[in-house]
Amino acid sequence: MSALKKLFPVIGIALLATAGSLFAQDAKQIEVTTIVKKEVVTEHVDGTRTTELVAADSVVPGERVVYTISFRNVGAEPADNVVITNPIAETLKYVAGSAAGEDLEVEFSIDGGVTFGKAEALRVVTDGIERPATTLDYTHVRWVMQERLEAGSEGQASFAAVLE
Amino acid sequence: MRAVTEPHRPLKEVCARLVYVAIATVAAGTQALAAGTPAGTLIEGTATVDFDYGGTPFSVSSNTTVLVVAERIDVATVLQSSQQVVAGNDTDRTLLFTVTNTGNGTETYSLAIDNLLAGDDFDPVAAVPAIYFDTDASGDLTAADQAYTPGTNDPVLAADASIDVFLVNDIPAGAGNGDIGRSQLTATSTTGTGAAGTVFAGSGDGGIDAVVGTTGGQSSDVGEYIVSDIQVTIVKSQGVSDPFGGTEPLPGATITYTLAVDVIGSGTATSSVVRDPVPDYTTYVPGSLVLNGVAQSDAADADAGELDVSARPTIVVRLGDLTLADGTQTIVFQVSID
Repeated sequence: MSALKKLFPVIGIALLATAGSLFAQDAKQIEVTTIVKKEVVTEHVDGTRTTELVAADSVVPGERVVYTISFRNVGAEPADNVVITNPIAETLKYVAGSAAGEDLEVEFSIDGGVTFGKAEALRVVTDGIERPATTLDYTHVRWVMQERLEAGSEGQASFAAVLE
Repeated sequence: MRAVTEPHRPLKEVCARLVYVAIATVAAGTQALAAGTPAGTLIEGTATVDFDYGGTPFSVSSNTTVLVVAERIDVATVLQSSQQVVAGNDTDRTLLFTVTNTGNGTETYSLAIDNLLAGDDFDPVAAVPAIYFDTDASGDLTAADQAYTPGTNDPVLAADASIDVFLVNDIPAGAGNGDIGRSQLTATSTTGTGAAGTVFAGSGDGGIDAVVGTTGGQSSDVGEYIVSDIQVTIVKSQGVSDPFGGTEPLPGATITYTLAVDVIGSGTATSSVVRDPVPDYTTYVPGSLVLNGVAQSDAADADAGELDVSARPTIVVRLGDLTLADGTQTIVFQVSID
């Protein structure tokens, strides 16, 4: 954090204004931004329906939201073993199969982010009885980059959930 | 003792009881009620990126997105009473309804009665006042129940909460036997109604948005009265005769029971059956059953009466279809005190 203290008075407001966090141990090499939108379905007079994603700040039970996480390597060197992790809020029900991202492997956690695995491999044990995990058990979703993220490259991960 | 009769038109059971179940999510903590995530709940999301850079591991967090759960306006009005059998000129006949807040925030509702419905034979006449809360939860209109005054005591219900409401009506004179009259209770959200998805910005709990749900913020249900001016009366009397020539109810004494069955009013009491259990500590005197002066065999056979011993011994007399013109039906039987 000492580097940050030196940086603060110099960069100040400019740093605060950029998307991403001041959490990095050193200068940030990866910028990451989260946007959440909600699905609005419009029924037309002729019976057809169109679905569009609109910026969301308020949502009612039953509505579907889509989280999109954009990340970019803003450093000079490539980044390896890039993993994007997102907790799934308790009152959100993850939509099965919705987690997506190019060249990203999707994994889930059912134990609060301690361990992760592929959807089909996750098992839940309750009172000695084991069963496959369902979307209701997920506490986190993460995307694992299969390649390194070259300097200047970017990627996007997304998932959908329904508000209970 | 009990007389089982059927009025001229069969009674219909109009009874729908909606049961709301609170659903617990697998993840510990937040309860998802049947009404949905509580209005005002904040849902925050922050993504984290972990990576290796120049051989050193780093962790970077994104911005935190915040979603506010808006209030969804919904309501369900459900009739609890079965079809009410009434007579012309009856007053203060009640129908019981339950109004439930099926939205996710606290909501105030106005209540209204409508008796001018199409499709029935008569219009119930609303009492004044016509709407009451079942304040003492007795299911009957009592002095403890509070009258509803629109705008003064509109019910305020938290998400998933409900309240019991009476509609109180008089039955008009001249309503004919078998006529049906309907009365409707409507509950309406005072925040707003409209097509599902209509937004009332800032009108929800604590200033969040309120959004109309699939019920449109309004719900009605209809109760029914059916006129039946048939009444069946039974009057039971007894006489005791003891072994010593007196009237003391001693062991060994004989009790003679007389049941007088009468039909009052117009119409027919179809398939009437009288059942009278033999009292405890007594034994039926075989061969003592008499209907209208004609002896009845104790066995179940072609005649109208019998002693039914399949469970507790019971006198059973089938009187068939009775009208006022049939006059008083007299049943006599004897038991001895054990």
